[in-house]
Parts: sequence; C-alpha cells; structure tokens
Amino acid sequence: MSAAFFELEAVVASVPGRTLLHPLTLALAPGRVVGLIGHNGSGKSTLLKLMARQLIPSAGTIRFEGHPLAAWKARAFARRLAYLPQQTPAAPGLLVRELVALGRYPWHGMLGRFGPGDREAVEDAMAQTGVADFAGQQVDMLSGGERQRVWLAMLLAQRPGALLLDEPTSALDIAHQVEVLTLIRRLSRVHGLGVVIVLHDVNMAASVCDELLALHSGRLIARGAPDEVMTPATLERIYGLPFGVMPHPVSGRPLGYVAQPVPGVE
Amino acid sequence: MADNRYRCGGLVGLLALLAAGLTAVAAHPYLPGSPGDVETWRWLLAGDSGDVRRLILTDSLLPRLCASLLCGGALALAGVLFQQVLRNPLAEPSTLGVAGGAQLALMATAMLAPGLGVGSGGMPRGLVALAGGAGAAALVVGLAWRAALAPAVVILAGLAVGLTCSALASGLMLFNGAGFQALFLWASGSLSQNGWAIPQALAPQLAAGAALTLLLARPLALLDLGAEGAVGLGVPVRVLRLAALALAVALSAAVVSAAGVIGFVGLAAPAMARLAGARSLDARLAWAPPLGAALLWLADAAAQTVPQLAGGGRELPTGTLTALLGAPLLLWLLTRPGGQGRGLPVTAEAPSHRLARPIPWLAAGLLVLALAVWLALTVGQGVGGWRLSGWTELQPLLYWRAPRMAAAMAAGAMLGAAGVLLQRLTGNPMAGPEVLGISTGAAFGVILLHLAVPAFPVEAQVAAAGAGALATLGAVLLLGRRHGHAPERLLLTGVALTTVFGAVVALLLSSGDPRAFILFRWLTGSTYLVTPAIAMAAWAAALPLLALPLLCARWLEILPLGEAAARSLGLRLPLARGLVLLLVAALTTAATLVVGPLSFVGLMAPHAARLFGLQRAVPQLAGAALAGALVMVVADWLGRVLLFPSQMPAGLLATLLGAPYLLWLLRR
Repeated sequence: MSAAFFELEAVVASVPGRTLLHPLTLALAPGRVVGLIGHNGSGKSTLLKLMARQLIPSAGTIRFEGHPLAAWKARAFARRLAYLPQQTPAAPGLLVRELVALGRYPWHGMLGRFGPGDREAVEDAMAQTGVADFAGQQVDMLSGGERQRVWLAMLLAQRPGALLLDEPTSALDIAHQVEVLTLIRRLSRVHGLGVVIVLHDVNMAASVCDELLALHSGRLIARGAPDEVMTPATLERIYGLPFGVMPHPVSGRPLGYVAQPVPGVE
Repeated sequence: MADNRYRCGGLVGLLALLAAGLTAVAAHPYLPGSPGDVETWRWLLAGDSGDVRRLILTDSLLPRLCASLLCGGALALAGVLFQQVLRNPLAEPSTLGVAGGAQLALMATAMLAPGLGVGSGGMPRGLVALAGGAGAAALVVGLAWRAALAPAVVILAGLAVGLTCSALASGLMLFNGAGFQALFLWASGSLSQNGWAIPQALAPQLAAGAALTLLLARPLALLDLGAEGAVGLGVPVRVLRLAALALAVALSAAVVSAAGVIGFVGLAAPAMARLAGARSLDARLAWAPPLGAALLWLADAAAQTVPQLAGGGRELPTGTLTALLGAPLLLWLLTRPGGQGRGLPVTAEAPSHRLARPIPWLAAGLLVLALAVWLALTVGQGVGGWRLSGWTELQPLLYWRAPRMAAAMAAGAMLGAAGVLLQRLTGNPMAGPEVLGISTGAAFGVILLHLAVPAFPVEAQVAAAGAGALATLGAVLLLGRRHGHAPERLLLTGVALTTVFGAVVALLLSSGDPRAFILFRWLTGSTYLVTPAIAMAAWAAALPLLALPLLCARWLEILPLGEAAARSLGLRLPLARGLVLLLVAALTTAATLVVGPLSFVGLMAPHAARLFGLQRAVPQLAGAALAGALVMVVADWLGRVLLFPSQMPAGLLATLLGAPYLLWLLRR
C-alpha cells in the first residue's frame, strides 16, 4: 500500500467565534501508530472527528486512501475505518455480544445474513479484548473500564483497515492500559492497521506510537518519532511547564517528567 | 455571548412591540384623546374615578395586561424548571399531570356536586383546580419516590396519571356534553379580569417563585453532570429534584387557579430561548420568563382585538391564540440554522430487567390476545342481561361485532409498533406517534370536512383524515430536512404542529356548534362506525406496515446509540431517519383513519413491552404490537358492553386500562 493513508490539505474547523483548528496540511503514512498529544482543548479530538467524518471541515479537503472523504460511501468507509468517540454512549438493554455484533453492520448491511464469518469476527474481537467472559451481560451494568473494552471490541469486529481512537484508555487501570495498547500495536504490526490515537499520558504515547503529533491551540507545533518529540524544550512548548527527560531504566525509551516540585510538597 | 443576548432581547422586544400596538388598539375606544397626548395620560393617572371609560381601562384592561405578563412569566419559569429537572425538552407544566388533574377536578365537582356551584359564583374554580392539579402531581411524586425521582420514572408516571385524568374528564364530558361549554372555554385559558385581585395575588407568588429559583439555580445547573456527578459534588439529588418539581408545580398551579389551563407557553418559551441562543441554565432562567410574558401578552392582546378588528364577534380564548401565534414562531426558530448547541440531554430510559428468552412470552401474549378476541366476539350484554353466544347464535352477530373488533386490533398493533419506531428513532421516552402531529393533522382534515359539508359518507371522512395526515407529514419532513431530521428538532416541530391543530379543535369544541359533539366522539377514539370494508382495509394496511419495520431492525438497534456511533458504523443518518419516520407516519395515519387520534397506545405500549423485559428491537416491536392490539380489543369490548345500550369510545377505555398497568410495571 504505497498510497498515503491520510492526506489533509489546509483543513480548518471553526465554530462561530472560535477557530478550533487552524489550516492544517498533513500526510500520514499507512500502517503506523500515530499519537496525538497536546493540552486540553488543543484540537486533538476535533482533528480526529474530522478524519472520522464526524465533523465536516469548514475549509480544506481530507483524503483517506486516496479518495476525498465526501466521495466515500457510508458503509464502504465504515469497513475501512472505525472510530471510538471519547465518551461511549449508553446502550440500553443490549448485551455485550449484541453490541459487539453491531460492529458487523458495515459488512452485512440492513438485510444481509449474519453468517459464520460475522460470528467468527465477533468472537475473535471479544477474545482479543478480553471481554468474552461477560459476553452475556448487559453493557450498561459493566464498569467503565469494561465498557470501554467492549466498545473497542465492537471496533475490532468491524475488521477495519484503520482505527481512530479518542482516549481509548481513559477509564482503564494501568494493567489494562498496557494490555489494550499492546493489542493495538500488535494489530498495527501484524495486520498493517493504521492507527491514530489520542492519549493524555505522554509517556504512554511515546512508548506505543511510531510517530507523535503535538497540537497547541489548534496548530500543529511538533511532529516526529518519540525520540525527537520527547525533549525538554518541545515538551515545555506543548504543555507550558518545565520538563525533564531521562531514559527509561528498563527499555531505555525517553521518559518525560515535570521538572519542578509540586508546590507545598516537601 | 453578547450576540445571544442580543437575539433573545430582540425577540422579546419584537413580541412586546407587537403586543403594545394591539393593546393600544384595544384601549383606543375608551381613551378620550390620542395616546401621544399628555392630557390623555393625566386623565388616566388621576382622572375622575366614577368615569366608566376610565374604570374599564384601570380595572379591566390594565389588570388583564398584568395578569398575562405574570402568567406568561410564571409558566415559562416553571417550564425551564421542569425541563432542567426532567432532562427533557418536551417536559412542561402538564407533564406531571397538573393540567389533567385540574381539569378532572373541575369537571367532577361540577357534575357530581353541582351544589357547590363551581364556576357559577359559589366555590371558586381556582381552588378546585388547584386541589386537582396538586393532587395529581403529588400522586406522581409518590409513585416515583422510590426511584429517587429519576427523570425517566417521573415522566412515565406523570404521563400515565395525566392521561388517565384527561380520559376521565373526557368521559364525563361525553355523558354531559352541553353543560361543560363554559368549563371548556375556561380550560383553554382565559385572562378576563374585573379588578386587581388576581394580579395582586399572582405577583407575590411569582416573586417568591423567582427568589426560590435563584436559590436553586446553582445546584440545578449541576444536574447537567448527571445524577452521579451531582451527588459527587455534594448535591442531595432527590431533595433537589423534589424541591424544584414542587416549585414548578406550585408556579403552574398558581397560574391554573388564576387563569385556567394555558398550554404551550411553558414548553415553547424555554425552547425559544434555547433556540435563540440561551444555552446555559442561567441564560434560560433569565430569558425564558420575559419571552413567555411577552408571548402571552401578545396572544391575549390579539385575543381581545382580533374580533374587534374583524368587526364584532365574541372574544377568542387566549390559549388558542397563544398556540396560533406561538407555534409558527417556534417553527420559524426551528428552521433557522445555528443556536442548537447540543440541545438538552434527553432523559435516559428507566432501568429495567431483561427477559432471557422472549419467544415463549410472546407466544403466551398471542394466546391471551386470541382469548380476548374470542371473549369480545362471544360475550355481550343484551336485553336479558349478560350472554355467552354459541356458534349458531353468533353468526348474525358477527356482522356487528367482528369488524370493529378487527379494526381496533389492527389500529392498536400499528400504534404500538409506531411508538417503538419513534422512541428508538428519537431516543426520547416521551415521544408517542401523536407527538409528530400526524394524528392531529388527520383530525384537522376531518374537522375541515365537517365545516365544509353538512353530510357525507364515512369514506369521505377517511379520505379527509388521510389528506390531513399527509399534509402534516409533508410539513414535518420539509421542516426537518435541513437538519437531517435531528431528533429534538423533529419532536419540537411535531409539538408545534400539534399545538396549532389542537388549538383550532379546541376553538371549535368551545363554540357550542352541535357538530362539535360528533367530532369529539371521533377524537376520543371510537370504533362505532367501522364497517366491514374499513376493517378489511385496516388489516390490508396493517399487515405490510407491521412487517416493514422488521427490515430495518438493525437500524433500530443502532439508532439509540446516538449519532457518532451510528455514523461510524456506516449508517446514512438522514436516509435511515427519514425512512423510519415515513414508516411511523404511515402506521399512525392508517391507525388514525380507523379509530381517531388516540393518544395513549402508541406512547405507552412500547414502554410496557420494554418494562416487561423485551429489550431488543424485534421483540419490543412484537411485544408493543401485541400489547396495543390486546388493549384495544379489550377496550372496544368493554366500550360495547359496559354501559349497554350506551357505548363508550375505545380510546378512552384503552387509556383507563393501560395506565394502571404501566404504573404497576413501574412500581415493580
């Protein structure tokens, strides 16, 4: 797949009185895990929503796998790309298995048969995300972290070529964060999935992503491999705090820390 | 921010300007000079107190103006409170059954205890209405108390209680038609004043309400975070909900006791404020009351002057004009871009259990339905008392009994299915098919026919109803297209259309026209006139229309998950929504043509199915259709035999049968 994965040309997003994203031109290569980092309100989620076709850009064009987003048919697009919103909606009365099975809609459509292939994709997605144990429970009765993994399972059941994830680990404990991010990385390595992921934890982002994009006030201010972005100067520009960086004692990857004491703590 | 204020202020200013103009027209015949003249004002402020013309101005027109401002403000304030606590843009003062309770109390006392002289100088009507309204609200709160007054439960209980009260009141009307004209007029709101007593009583009540609202404003705003979030910030949620609901009920009850049931302002003013850009609770609290006050002032001034300008005739009910002026304004705001924000978050469904295996239960339901059909066909009351007919005896009777039973069954099933579709489409548990305005549109068509032609066959009535329904559907689709049929706008559009038609119907009913009574019987859902041909047609429509929703079962599973999820699964939202809407409309129209604009089955059957444990789209559809059919068959049978040889409309009885069952399900 030599064609660019995502190409953005002078893309702008604005609402009356505020520009959420200033003109952005960008090309992303396929088969990589790209992390979006930045302060709250920096435009990370807006950018992701634009790429997922949830928002229409105020100006500019976005191409996915060579075709402008507007040219994609709804279901064809959903077969190639799956999007996880920051807040997963309530799913009244649905069982885990049923919700995950909805991820097959782009394939079988309104009337198509739910065949063995679909069933296999659902079981496989639940096994990979570790939610098979509560397949028969109601989604709304689960804990926040379990629910997040169920939604991730629904995305995997879509068998997409690309994943756009808005803080997929916000409700997970450390062990499950590592597990989910490892899964995402493996999917990218083994199946060649292109992943764009919003993460708040910059160290977590640096350890899973092939490339980091840093946004500040709706502008792209830094881009590069984790080693290039994880420098004290760049981190300070992104978050507005003095940062230090040291090698991780085990993996040797860069590890950022806030280089000033928290006031009031000895 | 500043431009939002400008838009709200501009709207208030425009309404007030128009109202002031009409008031000047109303006052003109009594003024000695032009209103621009200083002398006129001197005369008005300190003239001869014995002057009749001045007396009319100071003791009738002016207090009436004040009353309209106070009532409008109070209703709008109550509306904002209801919508904030119940988390639903359709919540309004009648949601808790206040209006229905007040109406029932009035009718019941006037009929059962005429000695009290309600409405004719004896006991004040206001007091009776207040007792009825507060009683209904207290019942609702009592029913929902165990669920910590969770919005979904309060709304369902309120709808069930309110509909039961209205059904009982309508039943009383049917048996005592002519005597209630005055009450009907009053019930649609009247602000006539003779003195300052009512404004003087209302002003401190509204002031107290406003002060208490200010105290509650901060914790109420925290309800936007959801119950858990609010509890986490130290808000005692149940107490807060109780306090805010009590305050809102008190405000609306005060208005009811002063001026009768003035509909629509409580729903429309907060919606208009929101559409004009008042997003936060503070902004809505600040702008909805002036909007409501200006709207009611304008409506009331128009009610006084329109007949005068049209060259005589009696005064129009204010409530009718509120609807006729307010609804188009709301529609206009709805079609404009922007100002929408995220809208109000809609009430989540009441939590309920889920049946593991729905098929045996559905089969059992089918069996019960068959039993009810057999009962309805064979058991009747004749001259010699109750009778169970055998086969030979039954054959001649079938011609009379079977068509209406079959038509009622088809209509009930279609309304139940339509309700499931609409509630899944909008994610709003308050959405019944009648909310879309289609059944009222059908009723409007029939009314126009009644007004235009003195006598006509039943088929013409069916055609007129169909035309009315189609026209309404066209309007809903046209108005909603711009926003991809977004749920909140869709529902508000339907409410506005329903309100316009409803106002005309009420106007006609209060006119004392003898044809109105025949119409009223059709409006309450009667099946007396069904012929075998109509019954066949009903089933011919029902069978395909009930099968079609099964084709979009997958959409119905995905749509409740919200826009983002639906879009990312590859659903073409405008197309899916438009098609489901079309199905709802077809089902509702077909049912309305047969049994009239029945409001209960389509709203409640989906909830009954869901609370019973039928959670997925297909079982819920089947369950709601079964429940609707069952309720209608039994209601039709009871209507036939209960008061033999008199008949009762099946629609009324369906409400009276279904509401208690729903309340019982909620209590479980």
